[in-house]
Formats: sequence, C-alpha cells, structure tokens
Amino acid sequence: MDQAERIQAVSNFLLQSPPGEINDVLNDVRNIISDDDALQEGILPSLRQYNIEQFTTVGVPGTEHQSIISEAARVPGVDPDESRFLDPRSKTSFVFDHLTLEASDPQPYEIEENHEPIREALQNASLTYLAAHFHEGTVSVFVPSDPPQEFTLQVVANKYNPSNYWSGRWRSEYTVDLTEKKVKGKILVNVHYYEQGNVQLETKHNISFNIPPTVASAPPATAATKILALIGEEEGKYQVSLNETYTDMSDKTFKGLRRALPLTRQKIDWDKVTGYKLGAELSSSKGLFGNSS
Amino acid sequence: MADLVDSMLDLMRRLPPTRTEENVAALVDICPDYADDLLGSVDQPLQVKTDRATGREYLACDYNRDGESYRSPWSNEYDPPLDDGTVPSLKLRKLEIAANESFDTYREMYYEGGVSSVYLWDLDDGGFAGVVLLKKTMTPATPYEPAGSWDSIHVFETVERGRQAHYKLTSTVMLQLVTRKASSHEKGASAGALGSEGKGPDGLRTDGEVTLSGSMTRQTEQDWPIHDASSHITNTGKMIEEMEIKMRNLLQEVYFGKTRDIVYDLRSVDDLEKARRQKELQKELAGFIKR
Repeated sequence: MDQAERIQAVSNFLLQSPPGEINDVLNDVRNIISDDDALQEGILPSLRQYNIEQFTTVGVPGTEHQSIISEAARVPGVDPDESRFLDPRSKTSFVFDHLTLEASDPQPYEIEENHEPIREALQNASLTYLAAHFHEGTVSVFVPSDPPQEFTLQVVANKYNPSNYWSGRWRSEYTVDLTEKKVKGKILVNVHYYEQGNVQLETKHNISFNIPPTVASAPPATAATKILALIGEEEGKYQVSLNETYTDMSDKTFKGLRRALPLTRQKIDWDKVTGYKLGAELSSSKGLFGNSS
Repeated sequence: MADLVDSMLDLMRRLPPTRTEENVAALVDICPDYADDLLGSVDQPLQVKTDRATGREYLACDYNRDGESYRSPWSNEYDPPLDDGTVPSLKLRKLEIAANESFDTYREMYYEGGVSSVYLWDLDDGGFAGVVLLKKTMTPATPYEPAGSWDSIHVFETVERGRQAHYKLTSTVMLQLVTRKASSHEKGASAGALGSEGKGPDGLRTDGEVTLSGSMTRQTEQDWPIHDASSHITNTGKMIEEMEIKMRNLLQEVYFGKTRDIVYDLRSVDDLEKARRQKELQKELAGFIKR
C-alpha cells in the first residue's frame, strides 16, 4: 500500500467514528500514519463528509445558539474550495473549518421572502418541540432551494460521557412538502458503550405520512404547530416501540442463542460429563503432565 | 513500536463491531509488519468450517491456524492439507479429543445448537494452553424475523503445582442482534385491525432496523485441585461455565439496559417542559404555604 492508499483506508475509519469520538479516532490514525501533513490534507474530504452526515453543530459568531452542519445547510453557488454554511435562524452564513470545527467570517444572508414565514413558523414549533423532548439538542429549518417545495427540518441531540465510557447521538431529518401535503423523514440513533468492551446500538427508522388538508392550508403558525405535533407523536411512538424491540431481542433472540441455564435448571455436573466418557482412557494416564502423580 | 499496536487496538475498541473483519483487514494492509500482533489480539467472529474427513463442523480462529490452513479438532487434519502443520503432542491431543467431547455436551445443553471446538497447545515451560470456542447463529427465514449470533472465545493457560493447577482465563463474547420492522396503514384500514396502537396520521408508513452488536472481555485466575489429566477438563469447564453465566448477565445488562438508558438520556418520551413547569408550581406552592 502506498501512502495515498493508506490515507484512503484510514479516512474510512474516520467516517465510522462513534458519537463524540472522532478526535480519539483521529489520534489513533495519526499515530498509525505518522505523517501529519499528508494526513491532514488527505482526510479533509472525509472530515467534511463526517460533519455533514453526522449533523455536527457549531456556535455561530454573534449568536447564542448552535447551528447544524449538513447538506441542507450548504450555501449554494459559492467557491467550491470554501465550506460556507447557513444558519437560517440568525440568517447568517459562515465559513466552517472541518478540522477545528470552528465558524468564521459571518455574513448576513437573505432568505427568500416567500418561504420565510413558513420556515420561521416551523423553526419556532421545532424549538418548542426540542425543549419538550430533548435534554440538549439543536434544530435547524431550511427553506426549499429548488422544486420540490420541501422545507427541511433537522434535529440533533448528543451526549458524550467519556469518563463513564459511553456516548450517544439522536438525529432526525424531515422534509415537509405543503404542496404535496407529505412529510418524509428518518430517525437515526447511535449509542456507544465501551467499558471493557465495545457495544454499539445503531438504529434506522423511516417515517412518512400525509399532512391533513386542513393543516396544510392553515396559517403558518397553526400549520407548523400541527405538523410538529404529528412528528413529535411519531418520534415518541418510535421511542416507545424501541422498548418493545428490546424486549423481543432479549426474550427471543438472546434466549434463543444461549440459555441462562440448561433445561435441567442446574449447572453442569462436570465430573459426570468428563467421567463417563473418559473413564478408562484417561485415568490410566496419570502423570500425563509429569508432576500430577 | 508498541504504541502503534495500542493505537490499532484503541481504534478497534471504537469502530462498529459489525465491521470488525473489514477494519482488521484494512489495518493489516496498512501495517503488514504488525499483522501478527493485531490478529493475535483482536477477537474476530469465528468462522464455521466443515471437516472433510468427518463431515463435522468446526470453528476457525487464529489459534488453529497455520499459514492459510486451519486444523479441525475432530480429525486433527489441516485444511488445506499441510504436511508439517503444528499439532499438539500425542498426550495433549488425547486430552484435546476428550475436551472437545465434553464441551460439545456443554454446547448442546446451553446453546441447543451451534458449533463448538477446543484447541490445546503445549507451552515451552511444560504447561499447556487452550481455547474453547462456541458459536451459534440465528438466521431468519424472512426479513422481519430477528437475527443474531453469539461467539464465545475462552483462552486459558495452566501451570500444574503439585496437586493443584493454576488457571488464567480470558473470555470474550461477541454478540450481535438485529431486528427489522415495517408497518403501513392506509386510511380506514388501520382503525379496526390495529386498534388504538395503529392510530396515526393518514398514510403513515414506517420501516426500520435496530442493530445491537459488540463484544465484552473479562479475565479470571483460579487454582483448582487435579487428580488426573481429565481434571483439567472439569476445572476449565466449571470456570468457563461460571464465566459465561456472568457474562451473559453482563451482556443482558449492557445491551438491553445501558444502551436503552442512553437513548432516554438523549430524548424524553414525557414532556420535559411540562415537568419543569410542574416543579416551578410546586416551588411556588411550597413558598406560599410557608408564608
């Protein structure tokens, strides 16, 4: 493998980093490659992909809130070498450094007038929903860029607890199409527990439903509240259904793989197990290992 | 450069357990000089092979590997065949045959299926070491039936001291569980059939997948009396049985308890805002009563 291939291979590791552990993975990778300059340049595309896929959050200069780095947040039509993202909440665009995870060069950003009332209503309803059901989290709502007329709503919640060897991330993303009256979305949950082991939960859940016609044609604030209520209810149902999945896995799959105790409800009598089969064969070979006689 | 291996092991402790084989292979390609260190210290899912001589299934891992070949515990033959493949001494092979029979009984009683293999090898200092492998896989007949696999790797070393033997046991269990679910209810169809549970917005469709995967490792050292060679089977049998019972409880706790709790640390089913307001109200009331 030449250096370029090695860097390609470790880039693939970075993309698999558990929540909040990309720096740990990066440290390991640095030690393995031991060529910081080549590494830094080579892994940049992967870091960018990771930040976008994982809804990395960043504090936007001049605001008190966090904003989500994602495909929807990318500011279109600018220099491809520059990573400029949009915080629709503060109507600010900024340059994002994928390595240091810092925002700089904030610029005012004009959001299309026609869409802004609905976007803002969805944002307000989302913030209320976030406060009600997430311990800590970030939400961003984006206006449609081209047809289809879809608003994009993204939620991310992280908890990192390295001193207790666990971390978790909840991501959800919905597209809200008021013309087609459809909501489509997905929920992704990742949990890593790594005290004397490496245990990971990975879930993917797709949701789609129709927006009732009365809701779609209601004033923005009312429509947004109703849509978020429907999303919130489905997310809640999903979270509760995870419990059922856990019970199923524990009662069926786990028990089916290995019993807690044999059918006899007693531990094995090893003297019997070895005794009747070995009997004559081995007892005659006392002193097999020299010093046991 | 020992810390390079440490970095590789730290990496394997973080990357998804579902992709262990792929990632170990990539690391071996990146650092071929450290392949043996890595393959010797990272536990990978056990492979099921079939013994050509007896037709019986056995498990392959780094401990019964010689070059590209694997030794079967049933026929003692390597596949692909090797003329000079490493095999245990005659005496130890005798014990290995007996251990395979005993752990096969153990496997049947706890796993009610699956495959087991025991491999022993002589140590330079006169003692011996071994590995007890157990694997069971549940393959679903349809996509929406649960799937899973359990792999146990118990590595032990023993030294005889008079009528006692000292055992050092390192046990790893790899467990993977996958559940897929899907539901769709168009208008009208849901109300009657699914009752309140099926309630939801018009045209609701959902589908998803939950994967719990990972491995945990534990160690123990114990002394047990020995009467004859077969005592080693009885002793390691008891230790491994005890360890698997302990680890099964631990896995149950971590897989179904800890990871679930972390999800609830991220999101709350109950309305947190409502709870906050209620707390405020209680405070106010308490203040009011005091007055």
